[in-house]
Amino acid sequence: MIGSIEVRSLSRSFTTTVRRPGFAGALRSLVNPERAVKHAVSDISFDVVPGELLALLGPNGAGKSTTIKMLTGILTPTSGEARVAGVVPYEERERNARNIGAVFGQRTQLWWDLPVRESFAILRDIYDVPGAEHAARLREFDGILELSAFWDTRVRHLSLGQRVRCDLAAALLHDPPVVFLDEPTIGMDVVVKEQVREFLRHQVEQRGRTVLLTTHDMTEVERLAERVVLINHGRLVLDGSLDEIRRKFGSTWQVRATLADGHTDLAPPPGIVLLRQDGPQVVFGPDGPEAPTVHQALKAVIERYEVTGIAIDEADLEDVMRAAYAHAEPAAEGV
Amino acid sequence: MAVLHAWRAARVTPLGELHAPPRMTAVLVRLTVQVVLVASLWSGLYANTGVTAGMSREQAITYAVLAVLASRLRELDQYAGRDTVIQHMHFGTIVYWYLRPLSPARYHALRALGEQVYGAAWALAGYAVCLAAGVIEPPESAAVAGVFVVSLLLGQLVLYHVMLLLDQMCFWTVRNTAAMLILIFAQNLMSGVYAPLWFFPGWFRTLSTFLPFQATLNVPLSLYVGRIRLSDAGGQLALQAGWVVLLHLFTRFLWRRAARRVISQGG
Repeated sequence: MIGSIEVRSLSRSFTTTVRRPGFAGALRSLVNPERAVKHAVSDISFDVVPGELLALLGPNGAGKSTTIKMLTGILTPTSGEARVAGVVPYEERERNARNIGAVFGQRTQLWWDLPVRESFAILRDIYDVPGAEHAARLREFDGILELSAFWDTRVRHLSLGQRVRCDLAAALLHDPPVVFLDEPTIGMDVVVKEQVREFLRHQVEQRGRTVLLTTHDMTEVERLAERVVLINHGRLVLDGSLDEIRRKFGSTWQVRATLADGHTDLAPPPGIVLLRQDGPQVVFGPDGPEAPTVHQALKAVIERYEVTGIAIDEADLEDVMRAAYAHAEPAAEGV
Repeated sequence: MAVLHAWRAARVTPLGELHAPPRMTAVLVRLTVQVVLVASLWSGLYANTGVTAGMSREQAITYAVLAVLASRLRELDQYAGRDTVIQHMHFGTIVYWYLRPLSPARYHALRALGEQVYGAAWALAGYAVCLAAGVIEPPESAAVAGVFVVSLLLGQLVLYHVMLLLDQMCFWTVRNTAAMLILIFAQNLMSGVYAPLWFFPGWFRTLSTFLPFQATLNVPLSLYVGRIRLSDAGGQLALQAGWVVLLHLFTRFLWRRAARRVISQGG
């Protein structure tokens, strides 16, 4: 189906050489290399429906980028299958290329020595986009991303924010139904980030594009994504809405306490986890599905510790994700 | 077919150079200095001698100056424009070559075509100036000129594939600097840029026939100056065409293998 992404039991392993430490180790690795299999992605399945923006989340090295590279056709899976807009991407790379746009973080696809508009023109010809369509699309993108202020500048002279905006436009110039964005706003200031978010919202809501986004910016996730797929150590940990994630990992509350001097035993009460500690300031959150309610937690904390101050907060998404990542740690076996 | 519409990719190098006047000035100065020095050197070498290595003074100067001009056709600069394989491997942007409805092989070929056409404009301008100034001799006949052009084109195709091999090496080694230094030396020595191959010992010329370098410049330049007779041109052109076919098949095979290396090397 145009704009859909279907992922079924997708796995990808890499064979790497184990690097032994020290000079002797390096020499041994050279003469008698030891190979190891690394499972970057293991048996993940999910769907993205047309016009949906899905956030693919996970800590560094979780397998997000590898997944995106398989879905863009750059990488062939070891097993499993994927279809993007009805095309198996790694089998029909060039056909798939017409259906997708992609931005990989700060890596630009623009031509360094040319003004941005020349890069757009080259892409127009590579994708065989009619001139009138190209001009109309540029006008539309310019309306949100304000590209015309710098699109006659050579790419090498653009700031990071300007360049990423141009890269976003470049990725969508051929009107792809599916867009892959691998940490597109990394390193950008808040103003440009908001501009990019507005652009993405527009592309999803008004143009009906399907967007698969990876990011470590939880504000971005909250503002853009209704659904999240969480992977860790290459395995799918969770697939659901933000509300479901909040419920599942229970971090709908936090208890912030200031402990009296001399507290050494910080083992929290059952069903409660210590999220952060800064001197006497500690933050507790719920631990797993059997966690107590916030009032029960408040009572338990006061009973266990000598506290000089206490407050209740609703946890932000970063805390929820931290809990989710921590919850997923046992899945590391076999990686 | 995307390649029909993708001709703009061939404009990348010429446009990039036009947007960087200092780089054009540097090329002009370098080319002028090289031509003057090479012409002076060969004039000096021939001051007290007649025909050497089967070449007269005029033939030797014409050969040497044309070699300088022709070497400009495809500059061996791996760091201009951030659009070479080595740079894309370094920055991890090689993935974009595999995300377009234009194969990396075709894109690479279009880029090289643009580079060579741009280089040809410089070479032609230099040729016209040198001819008008009497530094070099014109071809003996229209037939020689025609065969020279065909041979030069075949030579450029050979050179393109040799350069492509080095680019493809980056998919396995990420960097190709050492190989590039060896290639530049071998190409300049064995194609006749440093000195016409006719001045080298017989064993060296025999060795050269087993390598593609002499097919890039020595054959067309020797045809131009008449050191290879027109009657022998057929065999030389066939040899050049043979190198083109052989290198093309090998590089096509490597493109297929390189596609599997994009992730592990290119991130």
